[in-house]
Amino acid sequence: MMDINRETYIEAAPERFAAECLRLHKRLDSAVMTYFAEDLRKELGIFRLYCVFLDKEKKAWTVVRTGLPGADARMTSLSKEMFSAGLFEREMGEMFGIKFEESPDTRRLSLHDEVWPKGYYPLRKDFSPDDAARAAPEGDYCFNRVDGEGIFEVPVGPVHAGIIGPGHFRFSAAGEPVINLETRLGFTHRGVEKLFETMDADNAVSFSEKVSGDSAFSYSCAFCRGIESIYGLEVPLRASIIRAIFIELERMYNHANDIGGMAVDVGFGYPNALASTVKEDLLALNRMLTGSRYLKGVNRIGGVNADISGEMKPLLLDSVLRAREIMNELNGILHSSVSFMDRVDGTGILKKKTAADLGVTGLAARASGIRCDLREIFDGQVYGACRFKPAVQEEGDVLARLNVRFDEFEASVGMINKMAEMLDKAGKSGLKAEYIPKAGAAIGSIEAWRGPVIIWVRTDPSGRIERCKITDPSFKNWQGLCFSVLGNIIPDFPLCNKSFDLSYPGNDL
Amino acid sequence: MKYLLVALQIVVLIAVSPFITGLIKKIKNFIRLRKGPGVFQPYYDLAKLAGKEEVISRDTSWIFAFAPYAVIGSVTAALLLVPAFGPGISLNRAGDLIAMIFILAFGRFFMALAGLDAGSAFGGMGSSREMFISSLVEPVALLSVFAVSLNCGSTDAQAVASYGTFRFSTLVATGALFAVTIAETSRIPVDNRETHLELTMIHEAMVLEYSGRSLALIELASHIKQVLFFSVIAAVAVPFGNYAVKMLVIAAAVAALEVSMAKMRLFRVVDMMSFSFVLSVIAVVISAMGY
Repeated sequence: MMDINRETYIEAAPERFAAECLRLHKRLDSAVMTYFAEDLRKELGIFRLYCVFLDKEKKAWTVVRTGLPGADARMTSLSKEMFSAGLFEREMGEMFGIKFEESPDTRRLSLHDEVWPKGYYPLRKDFSPDDAARAAPEGDYCFNRVDGEGIFEVPVGPVHAGIIGPGHFRFSAAGEPVINLETRLGFTHRGVEKLFETMDADNAVSFSEKVSGDSAFSYSCAFCRGIESIYGLEVPLRASIIRAIFIELERMYNHANDIGGMAVDVGFGYPNALASTVKEDLLALNRMLTGSRYLKGVNRIGGVNADISGEMKPLLLDSVLRAREIMNELNGILHSSVSFMDRVDGTGILKKKTAADLGVTGLAARASGIRCDLREIFDGQVYGACRFKPAVQEEGDVLARLNVRFDEFEASVGMINKMAEMLDKAGKSGLKAEYIPKAGAAIGSIEAWRGPVIIWVRTDPSGRIERCKITDPSFKNWQGLCFSVLGNIIPDFPLCNKSFDLSYPGNDL
Repeated sequence: MKYLLVALQIVVLIAVSPFITGLIKKIKNFIRLRKGPGVFQPYYDLAKLAGKEEVISRDTSWIFAFAPYAVIGSVTAALLLVPAFGPGISLNRAGDLIAMIFILAFGRFFMALAGLDAGSAFGGMGSSREMFISSLVEPVALLSVFAVSLNCGSTDAQAVASYGTFRFSTLVATGALFAVTIAETSRIPVDNRETHLELTMIHEAMVLEYSGRSLALIELASHIKQVLFFSVIAAVAVPFGNYAVKMLVIAAAVAALEVSMAKMRLFRVVDMMSFSFVLSVIAVVISAMGY
């Protein structure tokens, strides 16, 4: 029995591609989970497009695939029918130079016009950084404008007063209420996907941990799963359980951090102090278990380096139970504080329909009433045994996102207990160290604390990475944030923002 | 002799004012299980700022340069009217409690203009919010001062301070004055001095463009303003007991309030201030009835 994601590829002719995607979108009731291109001009003379949907019933990924002529790559835009495809098309436009016809928005995302010259597409195989460095950039970014009497714009960032990632927010406001919010991200674009193409799968595991630091373990886990799926490696049960435990520990420390952050964003100091003790205890626990506070260096292709031995188990269980105690106290404090509830209840509502249309995923989607959690779909072996149920809230406001975090924290503690029991019967070895590299392509995915991290990877026969597409839950959820703040007042934005707590590096890549 | 005492009082109060801020911070951090900076940190901050180069936007006018002096001038002048160390030690001939409130309005007026002056979005946002809050706070301040004045038949700070009998209306008016103090000193739940979130700021957003010596002046002015409002409660509204002890009690109360609740949503401040307004009206009414 293997914990490897299943995927079905459907080949479509370019002119049938849009229709096929739309059909799947409707039939599977799935937003575009990821949508990307691959440069195969040298081998086949084409760009290949992949549009990925999630089939919840069959518990599988459904991928629609097509080839576009390398000389003149154009495709009908899907984003008019499926809004969730829009950002991916903009990304492919700037990275591969593929034209999406009739697209409502063709502006670049991460390669800012002020610094990046036109006509240089970094994810093409024949891209030369030196030429791009010599060319002169031109043009300016054009924000969506709201006109009308009394409307003014508030530009915020990319440099902020706190120590957070860089992002630019352009508010159009009438007095305090926000009429429109547009984000401009990409300031931490490092060329992650291109850098993957210079690596062997073995080396790339540690690199994958650095994509988004607060999800280091989830990223390396998703990446390893992708490679394992290509190599046909069956991961030992012990490794699957240990991975699941660490995924939950990562979730717990991040949820504690966010709950504290939401309190501090409304100036509520004491709960934040409590939450930071929880986070610190969990990070210290991570260090005791693995030698790394952020669980780096644990995952390897074929399993895990770290083990949770018999003597470590009491430490693990004591720590999570203590964390649960403090979180319960914190939950009580926050829910009984009138001033705090007044701030979070009904603030920053993301409607279910909007969330579904935008393709919002993960925690934010569950807070808006969309029941979707990859743990329920793919990880039956471990999570099924723990009787996992996704935490869902209906309201879609800041309070709902807070409660989802509390519920998931609670569930994680319960599941870690159960998983620790399962470890006893799960064999000795957590690592299958022997494998033969193979050529192939596969999706590795995991429900990280923010939402699904999806990594599609292709290797050549020696295990070198040919293409690695990373999809962070933040990528689509940033749009969700933009819609959730509409009609709220500007001073409530930081709170809404924290309730999503999206990643800059994961989005910018 | 009196003028010497007044001069001594103002020098001591200004010298002590950053300490009060540091103390409140220390208490807050203690409750939050943190060590935090020492109580003298505000002094170091002022010294640091005073020694720094000042950056002034090319687009500003004379108002931007003048506003810090207007602010520190107005709070100092207002402080001269408060008999903090005992009845008799204030410039009571120069103005009464009503004058004090309007002298403060002068400084605020220039501060709000300066916020707009540089033309940045935050400054304008801060100024607009500050004026919004102050339009709610000033009536409450005036009415609660009226209530305590009615008790002794004079709006003169010295007369109020030396009025020895405790009356129920004083208590109610002090409640309203405390709300005013919270708002005027940019404390939670109205504003948050410690926040790094530029979008939620009120006072801090307005002074975001300032740096160096001007910022030091503005910071010092807000320390003094805090002492001023604490003193109004400690020396004028409740003229019993030891002044220093009362100041510490107020500081502790402010600190405890700050950690024990979240900041209000901006428009909720209306509710809080209208509640305080009602409180001050009640104070006036029961004072007129003789309680």
